[in-house]
Amino acid sequence: MLKIVVCVKAVPDPKAAGNIKIDPQTKTLLRGNVPMVLNPLDKNALEAALQIKTGMEVHITVLSMGPPEAASIVKECLALGADRGILLSDRGFGGADAFATAYTLAMGVQKNGDADVVFCGMASSDGATEWVGPEMATMLDMPVVTMVREIIPHADEAWEVKSALENGYRRMRVRLPAVFTVTRDLNSPRTLSFSGIIKARKKTITEWGLDDLGVSAERVGLKGSPTIVTEMRTVENTRKVEFIEGTREEKAEQLVQKLVEVGVL
Amino acid sequence: MIDFTFTEEQEMFRKAAREFAETMIMPKVAEMEKTGDVSQDVVKALAEADMMGITIPEEYGGLGLGYTERLIALEEISRVSVATAMMLQVFALGIEPIIKFGSEETKKKYLPGLATGKRLATTAVTEATGGSDPTGIKSSYTKDGEDFIVNGRKCFITNSHIADTITILAKAEDTPKAFCAFVIDENMPGWKATHKEHKVGMRGCNTGELSFEGLRIGKAQLLGAEGKGLGVTMAAIGDVGRGGMVGTALGLQAACLEESIKFAGQRILYGKPISFLQSIQNKIAEMKIDLEAGKLLGYRAAAIQDAGGRSSNEFAVAKYYTTEAAQKAAKMAVDIHGGYGCMEEYPVTRFWRDAAVLGPSAGTSDIMKVIIARWAMS
Amino acid sequence: MKDDKSPVWVIADQESCNLLPVTPQLVGKSRKLADDLGTTVEVVLLGDGVDTQPSNLFASGAERVFLGNDPALAEYHPDVYTDVIVGLAEKHKPQIILMGSTSMGRELAPLVAARLSTGLTAHCIDLNINADRVLEQIIPAYGGEITIVCPERRPQMATVAQGVFPLPALDEGCRGEVVSIDGPFVHTGRVEILEVVIEAPEGIPLDTATCVLAAGAGAGDLEGWKLIVELSKALSAGLGCTRPAVDEGWAELETMIGQSGKMVSPETYLGIGLSGEQQHMVGIAGAKTMIAVNNDKKSPVFSQVDYGVVDDCRDFVPVLLEKIRQYREKQVSC
Repeated sequence: MLKIVVCVKAVPDPKAAGNIKIDPQTKTLLRGNVPMVLNPLDKNALEAALQIKTGMEVHITVLSMGPPEAASIVKECLALGADRGILLSDRGFGGADAFATAYTLAMGVQKNGDADVVFCGMASSDGATEWVGPEMATMLDMPVVTMVREIIPHADEAWEVKSALENGYRRMRVRLPAVFTVTRDLNSPRTLSFSGIIKARKKTITEWGLDDLGVSAERVGLKGSPTIVTEMRTVENTRKVEFIEGTREEKAEQLVQKLVEVGVL
Repeated sequence: MIDFTFTEEQEMFRKAAREFAETMIMPKVAEMEKTGDVSQDVVKALAEADMMGITIPEEYGGLGLGYTERLIALEEISRVSVATAMMLQVFALGIEPIIKFGSEETKKKYLPGLATGKRLATTAVTEATGGSDPTGIKSSYTKDGEDFIVNGRKCFITNSHIADTITILAKAEDTPKAFCAFVIDENMPGWKATHKEHKVGMRGCNTGELSFEGLRIGKAQLLGAEGKGLGVTMAAIGDVGRGGMVGTALGLQAACLEESIKFAGQRILYGKPISFLQSIQNKIAEMKIDLEAGKLLGYRAAAIQDAGGRSSNEFAVAKYYTTEAAQKAAKMAVDIHGGYGCMEEYPVTRFWRDAAVLGPSAGTSDIMKVIIARWAMS
Repeated sequence: MKDDKSPVWVIADQESCNLLPVTPQLVGKSRKLADDLGTTVEVVLLGDGVDTQPSNLFASGAERVFLGNDPALAEYHPDVYTDVIVGLAEKHKPQIILMGSTSMGRELAPLVAARLSTGLTAHCIDLNINADRVLEQIIPAYGGEITIVCPERRPQMATVAQGVFPLPALDEGCRGEVVSIDGPFVHTGRVEILEVVIEAPEGIPLDTATCVLAAGAGAGDLEGWKLIVELSKALSAGLGCTRPAVDEGWAELETMIGQSGKMVSPETYLGIGLSGEQQHMVGIAGAKTMIAVNNDKKSPVFSQVDYGVVDDCRDFVPVLLEKIRQYREKQVSC
């Protein structure tokens, strides 16, 4: 049976992420009241695993690192069809940058054992670094293909994938075990279903902390992070807007005039 | 301490229903509005999302969930399409008498198909001469050995032209006060859907007439005891019918509030969005108050029903309150939109038309008051 | 680390043996960083048939080029490229490594960083050396900016999108040292590149367009988006978009403008039906004249542009198209 691990992250709802702002006085983050949701690209990663499951015997583990509240997004993944959920949660994991996150997740994948395939979203909507997948692959000594937009799974343990380029794609063959980070072009993720939620009642979420993973506290969280944020600041706008007023016709005419002045027309 | 919180699982059901409504139903709304017909894509989507089997027990292929979950689903679907919520709510209205009063054989015959959407249900009680007072109906049966022969006509029947599994009520031709409830299906000759109505709102939800001419029904199709059919249909309408209208109304209330907030934040008057004007805020506050109050009434009634109690009176209060509130909210949402509120590309015009249909469905507000007064004075 | 004289590195990115603009842009910026540190700029250039390119790198400000010119290096291969760069970095110990946020850089940078057990910052919009001689890496976030440093581990690594830094003035007289990297360049075969397919983009390329039109959720639906496409043609503008337009499936990811998309600096920017989210606006900050159309006068976009039109883009764009047509007709008849 093919063992797939899908790495997922709880992120502030991208639809409301604009409410998170930097306090101009204290230079700290004002988190607003933004709910945490499953990172959008991680839905594509899970969908990739679920689609492979329709064609062959597959066991899907969802792995997430986050605070205890992140269990809700793991539960959501179970309701979407994953078989097992693991939440890596420990105060010591807090404040991790991409490198420390990749290390912690890699240790989780290792403890879970014998992964044939690891799927990640290409990036998280809050961090947007794209580093976790490839860094984790390096730590697991697996090959990685990023920005995957098409997968042709083969039973013979070498998969063919297409990876997006700015102006085209690479077609590659990858020997398993391997890590793939996926784009939203790969598939259209399914939505939650009532029956899936009911089936998830019987599925459990395992929580692992620092001791369970058996890793040094120096290698995870803030302590294990090579990079740190030293400053946050607000940005002053240097432009001053001049509104073009009038009826719709007048506004359009004036805008055409403006476009002529700046040389567009 | 009364616990007013939804469980984590119920919150997930809500999320699922919202995602479903927004991805599968929303894109079909324009088409339903244009044609006025039932969208087969919507029916298929409802079936695939298990929406038809929410309250059907698991042993018959349903989800075995409660009325709270049903209310959650209806509320979220109605927020996107009142017509779709109405269609779905009436499926359950047809299913409920089979669950509650059907023989084991009847349940096995119909419920699995109804749970997966292979079969579509409705209930047909209302006639030109009686709906809220079902004793006024004229459809009648005579007995021919073990069989029943039914003649008559039903009107204003939701899902009339799409349903193939229908709970009907008929009175005995010779014995006064004897009513029978039957389940009929597409394999029985002697009944057909006739006239299709064109409603002011809820376009995409089918309403029409059924006619029975020498419809022969075997004894096995009887729901409940012979002669006791009134109780069968009234139980379904009282709890499931009114409860379904509450979910439908709450969803419409929420939609009116959301569109109003959105528009009021964008429309500039006197150099500021109109949401800064107190007269607009007043309307938004009223909509919010009504929505909060309506939810408490509706979910309390559903909780009573889930706990096995009788909830038809509580649902009468909730049905009255929420359908009135939805009509108020739709009017206020249109008012906030000003001239735009008359333009069909703005969804509030649809809300207004849909709201008009909510009132009379499953018993008018006046009938609800009759029931509520009877309850208060009992 | 106070007296660290180890070099600043740029990993060159090339296509069909020509350097991508981001490479000289990064070399130019590295020159400034290296001057502040009192050290040198070195470039790692891998490819096949790229042996004429070092002179361009020297002209941009590099002093040394590690040149791997070999058929086995013709196409970017994650394992081969990572091995070569990690091997060189372990030997020469650069204090900074910069890469373009290209499809290669976005995969290669984390592979190299993980092998070197060091930090890596994504898609920076500015880089500075601070008083402690540490690289300050600036990224936009939460409507402002944040500064990230990698205080202890070396090298300090960052990726930067094309267009963030200007092309340096070329000094053709500059010469430097070419150090050739010898093979064999082998890999285990766990990843094989079967083919690289180039798909020609439609319309006017965003990078070079003098006018860029960008639109977002305000387009409303696919019909609305078609009006935007029509407008881009009427203006001969490059057509870009914001995240919602990609999510809705109206536009391709490749045309997204912003921190994790394209960074462009046209003469004129026209933003329609978008809210001015920072993620997007940093990608267009270099435009000379900026114009926005949005139905909400309070929209943050208006505090970031020079001219504003408050109107619903679905209603406004058809009228604008008509006025442009009338203007063009007048031009012809004159």
